[in-house]
Amino acid sequence: MNASFRSPYLSFLMGLLVITLLLGAAIFLFMAQERSITTVSYQQQAMDISKVLRCPMATNQNLFESQAPIAHELKAQIFTMLEQGQSQDEIIHFMVQRYGEKIRYQPELKGSTLALWFGPLLFLLLGVGICLALTKRSAPRPTL
Amino acid sequence: MTVMLPEIGHVLLIISTVIALLSASIPLIGVYRNNAYLLGCSPILFRALFFAVFTSLLCLVYCFVTDDFSVAYVANHSNSQLALGYKIAAVWGSHEGSMLFWVFAIALWGAIISYRLSITDCTHANSNDRYQDALYFARLLAILSLVILGFNLFLLFTSNPFARLLPDFPIEGRDLNPILQDIGLILHPPMLFLGYVGLTVCFAAALASLLGGKFNTRQVNHLQPWVLFAWIFLTAGNAFGSWWAYNELGWGGWWFWDPVENASFIPWLVATALVHSVILTKRSQGFKITTLLLCLLAFSLCLLGSFLVRSGIVQSVHAFASDPTRGMSILCLLVLFVSAALLIFALKAHTFRQDVSFALFSKETLLLLGIILLVVAAFSVLLGTFYPLLYELLGLGTLSVGAPYFNAIFVPLTFLLVLLMGIAPLAQWQKASKAQLKPLLIPGILVLALTLWISFQAATGDHLFLMLGTAAALWLLVCLLLTLMAALGFYKQTSKNNPASINANNTVNHLSKRRLVAMLIAHFGVAITITGATAVSFFEQEALLRMGPGQGKPLAGYVLVYESTENVDTNSFTAIQANISIRDAGQDERVLAYVTPQRQTFKSNGMEMSHAGIDHGLWRDIYVSMGLQLSDNEYLIRISYKPLASWIWLGALFMILGGAIAAWPACRLGYLSDVETLDVKTLDSTTNTQPQESIA
Repeated sequence: MNASFRSPYLSFLMGLLVITLLLGAAIFLFMAQERSITTVSYQQQAMDISKVLRCPMATNQNLFESQAPIAHELKAQIFTMLEQGQSQDEIIHFMVQRYGEKIRYQPELKGSTLALWFGPLLFLLLGVGICLALTKRSAPRPTL
Repeated sequence: MTVMLPEIGHVLLIISTVIALLSASIPLIGVYRNNAYLLGCSPILFRALFFAVFTSLLCLVYCFVTDDFSVAYVANHSNSQLALGYKIAAVWGSHEGSMLFWVFAIALWGAIISYRLSITDCTHANSNDRYQDALYFARLLAILSLVILGFNLFLLFTSNPFARLLPDFPIEGRDLNPILQDIGLILHPPMLFLGYVGLTVCFAAALASLLGGKFNTRQVNHLQPWVLFAWIFLTAGNAFGSWWAYNELGWGGWWFWDPVENASFIPWLVATALVHSVILTKRSQGFKITTLLLCLLAFSLCLLGSFLVRSGIVQSVHAFASDPTRGMSILCLLVLFVSAALLIFALKAHTFRQDVSFALFSKETLLLLGIILLVVAAFSVLLGTFYPLLYELLGLGTLSVGAPYFNAIFVPLTFLLVLLMGIAPLAQWQKASKAQLKPLLIPGILVLALTLWISFQAATGDHLFLMLGTAAALWLLVCLLLTLMAALGFYKQTSKNNPASINANNTVNHLSKRRLVAMLIAHFGVAITITGATAVSFFEQEALLRMGPGQGKPLAGYVLVYESTENVDTNSFTAIQANISIRDAGQDERVLAYVTPQRQTFKSNGMEMSHAGIDHGLWRDIYVSMGLQLSDNEYLIRISYKPLASWIWLGALFMILGGAIAAWPACRLGYLSDVETLDVKTLDSTTNTQPQESIA
């Protein structure tokens, strides 16, 4: 491997990245825990859920923004379900059962959506691979 | 005479098609026969082409202004009650007219190029250069003519703007789509079209270089301002569109990742990559293949975007002039242009291969990585946009890909990009030393600490994204500051040590300073936009409630009081308007501002729209929209407190300003003299070695 890979600069960046990721993960977990204890108001939760669901009537608008009558009914339904103690996942599952996969703005990870979810990662690896190949081909002049 | 104007316009369109055919073929024959006489025809033919298209467009404008409803396009998109400004804007308000406008803009740009070419002809000392340039421009104009020919045939055969509704024509037109009756939407489409046209010119320039087998410094200098202009207009077009959606659609959203939005955002991403790739090519004389490929890619994605928007193949809130039958013709044009371009690229690209020497850690690598990340982002958005379509075509069922997916992909990519954006201006060309990155250590830790502190302040939302956004904005600001300090230190040092050299290279220094300032401003704009977007997404406070006269609601240090309901009647719509006062939450409840959200019903077609009431401010927007009527005097009202919302578009303004500063001198010097070809080496060593000299 190229000597530059072991440069202090890269290891510094790597270190920074690792620290960021670790701290981020810790805080994320902490916040997630705290959130479940101090329950965010049902209304806020209902709004959050209605933002990731697509209105079955309007063209490409989420439930939260849609003014169609059905959107209002479904928002009320979400609120009622939250009051009955159902979780976000359960509510979304219920909606998918009723209106089909199309209601979900964030597609589920399954066999047929693998390309969707991992495509960008593939592009990224490909791109960085090309970049490294280009860099390697043009080795630095020894005099520099 | 005036009765026949639509026919005259139609005939002129046909004439322009024939001239385009001539203007595409004659110079190309001239190039291959080596016939200077045929080559010389190119600018004249192109100007004739421009004149024909321009007059044709004027005929259409005249039909709109005089309310000639026997013309189908006018009858469908105008109305005698419409204000004059909107009548003119209606020309590009729908499919046929906007295509004609696009053709006109290409012709205009080509005509400007041919005009400047004739001015600069006499200043070129070297006759060989002059001949080379003549060949290059002949090819360029020929390819532009080919593009116009394609578009014209498409217009004439599938979407003729001059088609008549004779003999039974309506006495009143159907009116312009009410959504479009707004200043934001009058300006947004022409901006985008000018951006697309800029990329069309880059496409033609890249093909001209490929055909000529040469992509020299001079051609890169010609290309750079075109790329920058395209980028500026695309930035403005996207920003206008998003500003309009925020103000008019009554969602409170500013970006929805709708297919139509993506159609103009993807070319912007590639154009941004292209702007940087041109810098790379100019500096190192290498990376020619990358730049040429990006030019071809950018135009192809514009066409793909047009196909997406105009065919109606995807469901969109901005559904605009969609007709599936047109989709096929656009697809044919797309396949034709793209396959021809890629074929030429495949045949010729290998001759442009040039080894450039640079180390793994150098400005070249960082820029290249940035370009690749931008292209990856563009393709990811493209994948998300087309996935539901492919999914359905493959018979796998239906599926929606929306904001949650795009955010999950785009935010981390932006974060990586911003990391590079911070470091790249500080790194040196060819081989950067690690020492010059040492000053980044402490700011890096500070950014991290601040990010953590800010993400603790947020009440709800996804903390990972919040942290990524905050860290990105802070990191970029810190790095820009360091770059600025390093640059100032360097200029002071050189002027003290060697004043004579500064005077000798005055132009050079002037130019390099300008470029540095342009870069700093544009990157600063990105930081501002990221800050605004992050703040709005994670610190927004909103309430959805029923309100009637006399009721109030406290929110984020303000009290909003519903004062009264009012009926409004204008030329084009009737509306129910809520008058809501925004008051200070203190003791006296001082009134700070009034907002007036409306529910509008358009007279011409009965369409209903909600118009938001917004109190804009530098630090926060207060956004109120009006929903359904719930009882006799109560309405569903949505109130949002949006911190730093206006920063999203403020950032875009900075980006445009940066782009304009970079484009202005380059475009003048590029044409008038060869200063830039001389200064490539000196110039960039001044801009980019400073950090090391002053910091290390």
